[in-house]
Amino acid sequence: MREILSMEHITKRFGDMLANKDINFEVRKGEVHTLLGENGAGKSTLMNVLFGLYQPTEGSIYLHGNKVRIDSPAQAVKLGIGMVHQHFMLVEAMTVFENIILGDRNTKGVFIDRDARRKEILALSEQYGLDVELDKPVTEIAVGAQQRVEILKALYKGAELLVLDEPTAALTDIEVEGLFQIIHKLTAEGKSVIFISHKMREVLHISDRITILRAGESVCTLNRDETTGEELANLMIGRELVPSQYEKIVDPGAPVIKLDDVDFCKSSKHNGLNGVSLAVGRGEIVGIAGVDGNGQSQLAQVVTGVITPDRGEVDMKGSKVATFTPSGFIDEKVSHIPEDRNKMGLIGSMSVMDNIVLKSTEQPEFSNGNGLYLKKKAIREYAEKMRQKYDIRCSSIEQETRNLSGGNQQKVILARELEGDPDLLVAVHPTRGLDIGAARFVHDTMIAARDKGCGVLLISADFDEILEVSDRILVMFEGKIMGEYSGKNPPIKEISLAMAGR
Amino acid sequence: MKNTNKIVNVMVPVISIVLAFAIGCIIIAVLGANPITALQALWKGAFGSARNLGTTLSRATPLIFTGLCACFAYRCGVFNLGGEGQFIMGAVVCCVIGTQFNIEGLPAIILCLVAGTIAGGLWAMIPGVLKVYRGQNEMIISIMLNYVATLFMGVLFTNWMRDGSVPQTVAVPDASKLTRLFGLRVTTAFIIAVVVGLLVYYFLFFTSKGFQLRAVGYNMTAAQFNGFAVKKYFLGSFLVSGMIAGLGGSADILGTQFFLINGYAAGYGFDGVSMALIGQLHPLATMLVAIFFAALRVGSTTMQAATGVPTSVSDIIQALVIVFTVAGLAMVKLPEFKAFLNRLIPRKEVA
Amino acid sequence: MEFVTNLILASVRMATPLIFLSLAELYSQRAGLVHIGLEGLAAIGSLTGFLVSHITGSPLMGVCAGAMVAVLVNMIYAYATVTLCAEQIVYGMAINIFAPALASFIYRVYFGAGSELVQVSQMSSLSALLKVNTDSFIAKLFLEQTLMVYLAYGLVIFTAIYFNKTKSGLNYKAVGEYPKAAATLGINVIGVKYIASVICGALAGIGGAYLTTCYTTTYVDGNVAGRGFIALAAVIFGRWNAGGVLLACLFFGFCDALQIRLQVASFNVPYQFFQMIPYVATVVVLAIIGMKKAGPKSCGKPYRKEER
Repeated sequence: MREILSMEHITKRFGDMLANKDINFEVRKGEVHTLLGENGAGKSTLMNVLFGLYQPTEGSIYLHGNKVRIDSPAQAVKLGIGMVHQHFMLVEAMTVFENIILGDRNTKGVFIDRDARRKEILALSEQYGLDVELDKPVTEIAVGAQQRVEILKALYKGAELLVLDEPTAALTDIEVEGLFQIIHKLTAEGKSVIFISHKMREVLHISDRITILRAGESVCTLNRDETTGEELANLMIGRELVPSQYEKIVDPGAPVIKLDDVDFCKSSKHNGLNGVSLAVGRGEIVGIAGVDGNGQSQLAQVVTGVITPDRGEVDMKGSKVATFTPSGFIDEKVSHIPEDRNKMGLIGSMSVMDNIVLKSTEQPEFSNGNGLYLKKKAIREYAEKMRQKYDIRCSSIEQETRNLSGGNQQKVILARELEGDPDLLVAVHPTRGLDIGAARFVHDTMIAARDKGCGVLLISADFDEILEVSDRILVMFEGKIMGEYSGKNPPIKEISLAMAGR
Repeated sequence: MKNTNKIVNVMVPVISIVLAFAIGCIIIAVLGANPITALQALWKGAFGSARNLGTTLSRATPLIFTGLCACFAYRCGVFNLGGEGQFIMGAVVCCVIGTQFNIEGLPAIILCLVAGTIAGGLWAMIPGVLKVYRGQNEMIISIMLNYVATLFMGVLFTNWMRDGSVPQTVAVPDASKLTRLFGLRVTTAFIIAVVVGLLVYYFLFFTSKGFQLRAVGYNMTAAQFNGFAVKKYFLGSFLVSGMIAGLGGSADILGTQFFLINGYAAGYGFDGVSMALIGQLHPLATMLVAIFFAALRVGSTTMQAATGVPTSVSDIIQALVIVFTVAGLAMVKLPEFKAFLNRLIPRKEVA
Repeated sequence: MEFVTNLILASVRMATPLIFLSLAELYSQRAGLVHIGLEGLAAIGSLTGFLVSHITGSPLMGVCAGAMVAVLVNMIYAYATVTLCAEQIVYGMAINIFAPALASFIYRVYFGAGSELVQVSQMSSLSALLKVNTDSFIAKLFLEQTLMVYLAYGLVIFTAIYFNKTKSGLNYKAVGEYPKAAATLGINVIGVKYIASVICGALAGIGGAYLTTCYTTTYVDGNVAGRGFIALAAVIFGRWNAGGVLLACLFFGFCDALQIRLQVASFNVPYQFFQMIPYVATVVVLAIIGMKKAGPKSCGKPYRKEER
């Protein structure tokens, strides 16, 4: 088979950090070549180099055997490279049609020739089985359909080589099946696909060849037929993968929080709650599994008092909650690790120290007269203590939190949220974007809180994480609770079906 | 790292001022005067004698108030551009009470200052309430209200409270005027301004509520998730910033202005904004910048007399300082600049 | 009857500078740049227009020069906000402080302080150029206008077509909505932002120059009188569409015309209360439209090329 792309000795440096180190990578015509690696292994960097978003520090790229310089996405598009980003690059204010023709350079004329463009798009969509509704605003179509729009967009621009960055992250199982059919059609027509993922099952299913990246370096390239899931996992992580070692609790204490038939924006499938009933007991971790955007954010905001449900009852430690305010819930010792650290959790322009004591400056420990005079020395000493206890790596506690790495940011939040021995901890995607070490630390901390009698509501789209730490698993789909399962020997197949709405 | 940051943050306005003066000197030279003589005259006019210093501080007084007004609101993340209107409403109410109520002396002073403060606060609540409850752009609304306040003041001095043939109101009685300090132009209003500045500084950096207010200003969503009543802080910061401006207006009437007249307070609001920005929203720095601005204005009169260079050169210098400072502060935040700095200063601390 | 016809004629005249300024804001925001410094750009445009018109005797030259100088000043804004990623609101304020100070300084230096009011000739209307008589109201409305008025309405139509029907307009809008997505499609985001700043500066300069070459014949400090901010309100009110913005401008122009007519009609009320009408109307309109978030999504956010 002919090689259409070959990247040779690619090195990319960001300041002191080496994101890609001497990577060799090639793609043949008509194949699915997977890039497998953990978060931070350098997959995205490599692809951004290919797509002209970053310039490689060293190394060169060959397309069809010719050396090319890709200095902008425009150049990449011109060379026939199309990229479907993990976070879709769709302009929400526009329709599907407008999104597809955006940035078009192939056609002449000042005005948009709607009829001609439409015909071309429809022809493409038929050829590859990419059905989309052209006149709908992109915000009104499902995630799977948005992805088809992205693929169509790339094909419309004449892509021969398609990069799919974590394409299955936001899809249900059925949608993933549909995507795979599309990929098969693409390769059958002679297009090449670079598939980026860390999900073993999918990788084994769809790839022709697999290249494993670890810590910025290419470990090896294997043919699908010559490898197994275990081998891939071990190569990816660089050591043996151990199954969950946390002890599961089966007899939790009295409920800390209880939701009874709670509705919020019921009609919204992605951002609503529909008759949700659940309880979190003392000393247990309840995991909410589900694909992103099925009402999990709203659930988290109801149980932390950020939003008020439209209907239904919420009981906090046995008494009904009358008004929903974050401060009211904080007074009830509810802690929150929010889904977006930078937007919701931290004041990025404030120091590590300030963020640690954010909620507690009125405590007599940190100020005189209910906050009339801050005891800066006490705050400093306390923050210093927390820095050591939670192993927060920063140049000093005066450093602004926005300059910290994701893992250290999360540790600042943990230090703030867990130090007061909360009764309920609501953790949303607590390990998203963290490396394995930091993720393990977060899990250990959650388990420690549980063992102290704290009820934990863990909401995560990472199924492995849910399985790892949950004592009880609930599945959410389109704002509804689809089922409840024990965290001890959970029925994995059943749960994944429930996550797809069945 | 922290120290380098601090140095950079101080250096930016300092370099901006130097650059602005450099351009000012070029303009002066182009106008045919000797820049050195002009700057000497400027300095002498502003600080050359006790009398001149008194005048400078007296000119600085209203600027300190509007600067603090802007500073306080921005710290909470609300863009109150209505300092001028709030200042004027304070002055108007003060003037009405001081001249129409037949009271004099200390009771009159206290009543005037309190009423002026409240008037400024209430005027600021209009954009505040519209922002919080109607989600509207507080900048546009507060600016529109500046024009309304200025026009309302016009009604008083041309019509309702006109003093005979001249379009100005009657002056407050001598017994209600604020005392001069050491016989200079500067009055106790300056003391009030400094006290307010210190109070704002203490509040923002030494109390829990001030700490929370800053948190709201930096990241409203995170502040809300962490249990701060964001709307209350927004309303509160509008109220307090308006009160500071209102107090400034009334203190200025009782201290140096005494009556309302066409063009009074024009530009004070935007001056306040620019001082707060140059002072990087630090109340004490803002006060220093206010004195700097006042010095430019007072000194430029002497400069004009000595060299014939028009006083508006000082406005240009002032405007250039803000243009350079804001651009400079953005520049030092760029990763390229940080990398440059790191290369310049080898890192000492061990990771 | 005469009151009404005069009111309509005045509304069209008063709406014109607002149309230029609002379109300036629209082009800026569509590229993701919120510009609160229009007041300043209009001030410098107004002074330049006046000065050049005074020197050359040609109001049209004045308008062109006004546009050019405002573009130059706006390049400072563009460099700071696009290249240095300065906060747009803050830098807009800086322009609002800098540009009027510059305008006022130039006027003082050129004409001397405390000099007598200098007047320039006003731009002549189309009817005067064509030498047709304009006795009827319709003729007055459609013919007795300066070229700038026709230019303003022409620009509205052009803008509507540009953003809705052309490929380039679609790409332009994408920059304001989602610059990263635009960049991945090969659209030059930084370039579009600079072009937007040129257009914005030119239109704001024309809007300002209109005030000294078509509306009045003198320059005084502060003659923009808040129109830069009213234009901002008009863009919000007009929902970021050329057509909507036109209607909003006509409304605010009407308010302005109304206050002048009412002053002339001279009720026994201090004239300042009438002068408040446009400002109060702006506040009321904003309060009524209320919460609904709209407008280009990336507005106010800096765009960095290599984010890391």
